[in-house]
Amino acid sequence: MTSTQTMQRPPAEVRHADELARLRDSDTAPKPPGWALSLEAARRFVVGDEKRGITKKFVGDPSLVDRALVTLATSRGLMLVGEPGTAKSLLSELIAAAVSGESTLTIQGGAATTEDQIKYSWNYALLVAEGPSPRSLVPAPMLRGMAEGKVVRFEEITRCPLEVQDCMLSMLSDRVMAIGELNGPDGMVFAQDGFNVIATANTRDRGVNEMSAALKRRFNFETVFPIADFDTELALVEQESAKLLAKSGVELAPKRDVLEVLVRTFRDLREGNDRLTTVMSTAEAVSVAHAVGLRGWFLRGEAGTAADVVECLAGTAAKDNAEDLARLRRYLEQHAPRRKGKQWQELHRARHLLPG
Amino acid sequence: MGAVFVGVRHHSPACARLVADTIRTHRPAYVLIEGPADFNERVDELLLGHELPIALFSYSDQHASWTPFCDYSPEWVAITEGRRHGAEVRFIDLPAWHEAFHGVTNRYADAELRYAEVVERLCREFAVDNVDVLWDHLFESEPEPKGLDEYFDVLRGTAAADDGDAAREEYMARWVRAAVRHAGGRPVVVVTGGFHTPALKAELDSRPAEDAEWPGVPERERGASYLVPYSHARLDAFTGYQSGMPSPGYYQQVWENGPRRAADWLVESVATRLRRRQQPVSTADLVAAHTQAGALARLRGHEHPARTDVLDGLTSALISEDLTQPPPWNRRGTLRPGAHPALVEMIGALRGDKVGRLHPSTPAPPLVDAVQQLLRAHGLDQEGKIALDLTDPDALERSRILHRLRVLGIPGFERTSGPSGGTAPQLDEQWLLTPVEERLAALIEAAEHGATLEEAAGVALERQARHAQLRHLAGILFDAVLCGISTLSERVKASLGEGVKETGDLAALGDVLSGVLGLWRHDRLFGTAKDPLLGAVIDAGTARVLWLIEGLHGGPAPADPHRLRTMAATRDAVLHANAALSLDTADVTGVATRVSNDVQAPPDLRGAALGLAWALGAQPDVRKVRGIAALGDWLAGLFAVAREEVLASPDLVGVLDELVSAMTEEEFLVALPALRLAFSYFPPRERETIAGTVLAHRGVEGDARNLTRLTADPMVVAEALAVEHRVEALLTKGGLA
Repeated sequence: MTSTQTMQRPPAEVRHADELARLRDSDTAPKPPGWALSLEAARRFVVGDEKRGITKKFVGDPSLVDRALVTLATSRGLMLVGEPGTAKSLLSELIAAAVSGESTLTIQGGAATTEDQIKYSWNYALLVAEGPSPRSLVPAPMLRGMAEGKVVRFEEITRCPLEVQDCMLSMLSDRVMAIGELNGPDGMVFAQDGFNVIATANTRDRGVNEMSAALKRRFNFETVFPIADFDTELALVEQESAKLLAKSGVELAPKRDVLEVLVRTFRDLREGNDRLTTVMSTAEAVSVAHAVGLRGWFLRGEAGTAADVVECLAGTAAKDNAEDLARLRRYLEQHAPRRKGKQWQELHRARHLLPG
Repeated sequence: MGAVFVGVRHHSPACARLVADTIRTHRPAYVLIEGPADFNERVDELLLGHELPIALFSYSDQHASWTPFCDYSPEWVAITEGRRHGAEVRFIDLPAWHEAFHGVTNRYADAELRYAEVVERLCREFAVDNVDVLWDHLFESEPEPKGLDEYFDVLRGTAAADDGDAAREEYMARWVRAAVRHAGGRPVVVVTGGFHTPALKAELDSRPAEDAEWPGVPERERGASYLVPYSHARLDAFTGYQSGMPSPGYYQQVWENGPRRAADWLVESVATRLRRRQQPVSTADLVAAHTQAGALARLRGHEHPARTDVLDGLTSALISEDLTQPPPWNRRGTLRPGAHPALVEMIGALRGDKVGRLHPSTPAPPLVDAVQQLLRAHGLDQEGKIALDLTDPDALERSRILHRLRVLGIPGFERTSGPSGGTAPQLDEQWLLTPVEERLAALIEAAEHGATLEEAAGVALERQARHAQLRHLAGILFDAVLCGISTLSERVKASLGEGVKETGDLAALGDVLSGVLGLWRHDRLFGTAKDPLLGAVIDAGTARVLWLIEGLHGGPAPADPHRLRTMAATRDAVLHANAALSLDTADVTGVATRVSNDVQAPPDLRGAALGLAWALGAQPDVRKVRGIAALGDWLAGLFAVAREEVLASPDLVGVLDELVSAMTEEEFLVALPALRLAFSYFPPRERETIAGTVLAHRGVEGDARNLTRLTADPMVVAEALAVEHRVEALLTKGGLA
């Protein structure tokens, strides 16, 4: 057992254990079968409740959380789609922690994902010694989720090969998994109350368009949007980057007006016709803010400046895409000087720091 | 007994029910309603038997505003129920033209939205998306809504009213005091926006009603109020801007059939609308939508699914892909183009399609009279030709009247000549007036835009502008200038600025830029010179051009004259409207130089970019010209932008001469059309100058004039050369040469 103290990032049910316990104790509303909390309590866990000291953990429309929870209580899976970095995975983790009390039944989708990693595989030493038996079976998250009645998270489902995606079909519609190698009652694992799937997919990689219609039909789709409100996003970037900087031992965080310039730049380059092909998410803004703070502190022993923002943007935001770099240059050249404020002028002056 | 206050949200069915109940139980002597007091003598007009929605349209020379009523408006119910129970019904608010309403076009907009902080806090507390959802949650979905007064007290608690609201509240309180005194002990029911109620109560408590007299109605010089037919679409059109409650179609159903039936109706009509558009909606989807809506309603503690419960349910069930924009009921905005069809139909169903109709004996729309009077007063009620000298103020006024009629689409007013842009030197106009039968009908229809000709033309143009593409916007702006409508042009200018920032169409951008630049630089006639808003459009447009050209890549392609016009307009903007630009000239030169060196950019653009940099003072390196491929197209670009600079540069002309002379016959023929286009940017005199430069470069004495005058069509000559070349090739092949 690892100590939670030294974990880099404990799962949601550990991070917020006391809030979950408090909600569980005061929860009087009826719970859907197999759920750890009632819908109302689960909702408050995510959207926060100032009166009961429950923090707001997800910055987004509360109605999205309502819809997501209600979907999970029905027989359809929940599909969270959106641009990368819109906190889809965070939302799915929080919901899983609230609904099942456990958010670690997770399948990370990718080009190399196989059915084994979804359903089950075998302990080959035992398999050879004893033949197929429940003892030699190694359950993967889906099997455990079904047998224990838990929510399974399937991250980046659209990055899996289509045939692997489709192996979810029978589990989602018939709610049963057949283990062909086992005979008798062990050969069929029926889903227990409380089982459901939260999948996430981002719209950049390979969108949800290629998913089979049959699988799509088994999910309710919820689009997670970037944060609508500038102040909310700024506050979030400020708070998260401050945490990261404190962890990295930086004593002077970038000033608020520098972060303001940073967040506004991200928002401008995220929307409209001139958006970059690189993802300009809030998460990315946090990491740039982090990098800006690191540069300022460790290179010069002061807070990060607008010039650092330019340097960091060149590396992280423009990545290796020449067109994006050109767009960024144009933005700094033509849009930055039109804004008012000292930091914008700094940003404009620092435009030559872009490579090329 | 005193006053019974009913604080309402405008267009709320729940509040309408509450108003009806209150009047029924209290049997008041007076029913006082937030509405224009100057209309009190004509309240009967409202009760002629119209089909709602209708609106009271008030205007003055300053501005116009609407006071809309629909079946479920608490104010409307107060009027009808008050009358039915024998009460005196009075409007008690300031007239629409009063300065307290400055900038207000919808009297029944949500006042509390101007004081957003507390609304935000409440939304957070109840964990709902926005104030509309909050309102549905607290009041519309409750069979017996409670806590309305507390809600409005909280809203009002922290906010100090602005000057306009304070003046209105003070005035309304005077009416309430007078009514209480004259009621002789019988109750007085006061129906006002809930935001005002706490203030009215406080005013009434602070001063006794003993000797209160009916307040007078402020007088004004011009303007009037008329009833106009209204529609659900227009009620909903205020969404986001001066908004009240959205979704009139849905709330009409709530009012008529209750929330449960309204929810069913919503699902059904969305399904019907989608199927009509050939979008698949299966029975399973509808079952899922119902289930989802029901479950959401239970989670949110509603007895029947409320508006957003149903919408959220439908979204979950019908949309199985990622959305490109959030559903508008989440973020309280309007739909942007390209929305998912299911969202479009949901919004359409919510909006409803009811159109109001006035009773036939309602006084005619004021526009008809207004136009006829105007035409008589300005001697335009004739037929035949009219010539107007626009420098004469009277004629300018007449011209404006005619232009306003033209933009309203009133037949029989045709302009045969006149200025067509800010730069046009033309100062007179010719009109042809013909009597047309349909004129009266068209005028009655145009009356929906407003009651005076100026207002109507302004509104009509504004609506055009709302849906216009960028390339038409400059035209609409010029129309607004011709009509002498200044308020509108502000709005058009703003949306021009918006459009310019977004467009990817370089040609349209050029049209806009040169059009606006013309108005900004030259116009004296219409008073738009050096207008700051136009300056902002020029600024945004120039930045946008620079933004776009740097991203424009593609191999050699024929020169695009539209693109080149845009580049020329950009040059003019930087040279002549520098005061309006926030860009540094150095930055512009930087972009231009980069583009001119970019081998991926089309040749004409590279030439034009070089020209731009040159015109802005950056001396080009003439030797680089030797490396240019597709010389003709490149030159077309250069000449289009930097004609004068080229003329003054014998070096460049010399290099060009050498390049052209060095071309093979074949190369020359390929380059010829582009070269012709390029040189067509020079007027004949300047071509002569170039010819002179060429002669000087070659050290030849001669008459440049003769060089540029050909007796034969150059294309014919070129063709002859080609034929000759072919013949020669054949002869060589046959060994006959």
